Amino acid sequence: MDETQRRVDEVRRERSEVENHLIDEYGAGKISRREFVRRGTVVGMSIPLLGFLAAACGGSDGETGGTTTGAEPTGDLKKGGTVRVALIQPTTAPNPLLVQDEGGAGILGATGEFLSFSDDKLELQPRIAESWEPNEDGSVWTFKIRQGVKFHDGTPLTANDVVTTFDKLINPDGGSANAQSALGGVLSPGNIEAPDDASVVFNLDAPNGNFPTLVSSANYNAIIIPADLDPGDWGKTFQGTGPFKLEKFTPKVGLTVVRNDDYWGPKPNVDKLDIKFYDEEAPMILALQGDEVDFVEHFSVSGGKALLGDDNVQVIAVKAATHRELHMRTDKEPFTDKRVRQAIALSIDRQALVDGLWEGQADIGNDSPFGPLYPSTDTSVPQREQDIDQAKQLLADAGKGDGFTVQLDTWNGFEIPDLAQLVKNYAEQIGVTINLKITDGATYYGDGVFGKSTWLDSVMGITDYGHRPVPNVYLTAPLSGDPKIGVWNSAHFKNDTYDGLVRDYVAALDLDSQRGVAKQIEELLLDETPIIFPYFYYFLAAAKPSLKGAVSAATGQFDLSKAGFTA
Amino acid sequence: MGRFLLKRLGLATITLFLLSVIVFFGAQVLPGNVARRILGPFADQAAVDALNKNLGTDRPLLTQYWDWISSFFRGDFGDSFSYGVPVSDLIGDALLHSLKLAAFAFVMVVPLAILGGVIAALKRDRLIDRVITIGGLSLAVVPEFVSGIILILVFGLWLDLLPVSANAPEGSSFFTQLKYLLLPALTLVILLFGYIARITRAGTIESLDADYTRTAYLKGLPRQVVLRRHVLRNSLLPTIAVVATQTGFLVGGLVVIETLFNYPGMGKLIFTAASQKDFPLLESAVLISGIGFLCATLVADLSYSLLNPRIRYARAE
Repeated sequence: MDETQRRVDEVRRERSEVENHLIDEYGAGKISRREFVRRGTVVGMSIPLLGFLAAACGGSDGETGGTTTGAEPTGDLKKGGTVRVALIQPTTAPNPLLVQDEGGAGILGATGEFLSFSDDKLELQPRIAESWEPNEDGSVWTFKIRQGVKFHDGTPLTANDVVTTFDKLINPDGGSANAQSALGGVLSPGNIEAPDDASVVFNLDAPNGNFPTLVSSANYNAIIIPADLDPGDWGKTFQGTGPFKLEKFTPKVGLTVVRNDDYWGPKPNVDKLDIKFYDEEAPMILALQGDEVDFVEHFSVSGGKALLGDDNVQVIAVKAATHRELHMRTDKEPFTDKRVRQAIALSIDRQALVDGLWEGQADIGNDSPFGPLYPSTDTSVPQREQDIDQAKQLLADAGKGDGFTVQLDTWNGFEIPDLAQLVKNYAEQIGVTINLKITDGATYYGDGVFGKSTWLDSVMGITDYGHRPVPNVYLTAPLSGDPKIGVWNSAHFKNDTYDGLVRDYVAALDLDSQRGVAKQIEELLLDETPIIFPYFYYFLAAAKPSLKGAVSAATGQFDLSKAGFTA
Repeated sequence: MGRFLLKRLGLATITLFLLSVIVFFGAQVLPGNVARRILGPFADQAAVDALNKNLGTDRPLLTQYWDWISSFFRGDFGDSFSYGVPVSDLIGDALLHSLKLAAFAFVMVVPLAILGGVIAALKRDRLIDRVITIGGLSLAVVPEFVSGIILILVFGLWLDLLPVSANAPEGSSFFTQLKYLLLPALTLVILLFGYIARITRAGTIESLDADYTRTAYLKGLPRQVVLRRHVLRNSLLPTIAVVATQTGFLVGGLVVIETLFNYPGMGKLIFTAASQKDFPLLESAVLISGIGFLCATLVADLSYSLLNPRIRYARAE
């Protein structure tokens, strides 16, 4: 027996069923190397192990997702220096439970650390957790906690700190609304335990193959804080275990963090991060062009056109699941008939939207949460294209051949007003008149509950959704017929087959199974079309050419621990 | 003078009280719920209700207002709903920044505009008059975000002479801070020059045409003495009033300039507080700006008395 094969067999004997199944999928060519590595990190396999297995077991090298351009370190990096970062203004106090905006996520991640970091390739990099593994059906996940990690004040981190952090996050009385949007229905209070100092066990409500992602940096409130620290006081010390620690914080102005020389891992190249807060995007872009900052955490296509064509700027584009949902109330006229909903979807030229609104920095959507970046997306499902004739026929078949008038509610953020206008224009081609009502975000979202929110009560609306590294939340909250789960179900969609398929998807541990269920979900949603997903746009960050190694995750977090200036 | 000051104090108190009532109750009309805005649209309603109770925003409006205004007069401005820190800390920093920018802008624009207005008046209907008045008016109608961006592009990016943002690094020297403030201050000069110069021009022309000026010339006084002792003192009265009213704008109204130059002043603070329904911060910031405005107009009135003895004697009577 060849030595490599012997080593592979030895490794496989120690792996779980889930991990072996993943190795089989890769070996059979069912998934690409990129997907193998990505999924492997989610189920708890280390990068070196994955690298060895990828080389030893062969398989396809098809590229799916990942960074399109990046600030990869090349050559020697200087030691020292200060990276000046432009970050959008946080809108709340630095409290890990309250943060629900990009700026807040940025400052949590500046000094805080997670069980793992979901990077720009959707791979989970171990951080406080060294490894993790599921039980047989994925209903129990055990995380091995790294030993020797200390908080910035020198206190050792223990498994109990991890337990209490998550207990606080999912506490129904005062926890984090954002964290609960990911963990609601997945993990209930009282089901996290630390059998010893080096382990934390999560007993889930139901099997969940993507659980490690839900407790990674993708859940940006989930920085691990000391058990005895009140999250409301976190902003006084920014206590964490990360490679940088607090030097100074001035609300509304900025945050300065310095290298943590007691960090458990490789120490950062640079001495300091000087993070400045900006209320608007234009000054951030001007600051980069004027050499006042080295890294802009996020910019939009519409606001940053000057950067896209600037040779003196590195654009870091990360494929993301950020998208817009155009919902149509399935329980209210004129959208009770799915043919009408399909007609609206067929009237839209998605490629034109991507080219016009995003300058190509987006992928077209196919009316389901399964964006192209997810490895579990079944790309064999035919892509819906604009077809005006078919749209008109569907309307006629539904008894609405003369067209109709409907109001579309949304808010004036990002490119949403432009999208609304374009949807209106497309609908006119099939005889549908859409009256736009565009308000501010507070008015549109209202109280965020049925009966008190334009978002959830309107017949037709456009809502923005931030990036999630796995589609679980998109599948449940906006589309589930269960009122306890479908808290964002603006389309009032109720379909038992769909709910069953989603349960199967969530429980599936291996990629093959996930993809099989995903195909059925995609086809069902294409048929029912309660929501139009026109595109998934990239997350754009920018850096000076001299700054290398900056990692941007599409959640708005960034990792500059390996960044540095070229020598 | 004492009676005058007491009367002004009384009027100021009433003005500030009315201002606080208008801002407080007016802000209630803004869409959104305080706790919902802090916790986000996806938070559980029970959590929202609990936070509203914690913040006291579920109480009757009159109770909320009374609690706040009575604390304000005790010097307790409360904590910001959004940032969880004392309002006095946020306002203190922002006010200092605004005062620095306002002072720098005033030091540039007031002498320049007065000089321009006087020259325009003295050279009435000639080319220099046209250049100053039409040029100044043309600049004044350019929105500050346009003039600001042009200045940033030219001096910040193309010529690379000045910083594109206004907030100097901590510990910067006085002159470094001035360098950072130069572009936003110039934006304000462009905005205000035309208005102040035209008012000065009008006041100067009125003084030049007045009987007392003709009498002064007929008495044989040199032109320079007539201008300095009789014309300027009277022509500056309306200018003082205009400059005083601009103080309120400069301290609390520079939302666009502060946003463009990323400068943490009072304008941005008030705007953000209103957007976020952060009532303690909004109310306190508006009242502080109002107090500043009233002080500026009081100083203007006192300057009136100094420059114009008729006003001084009328008050004494």
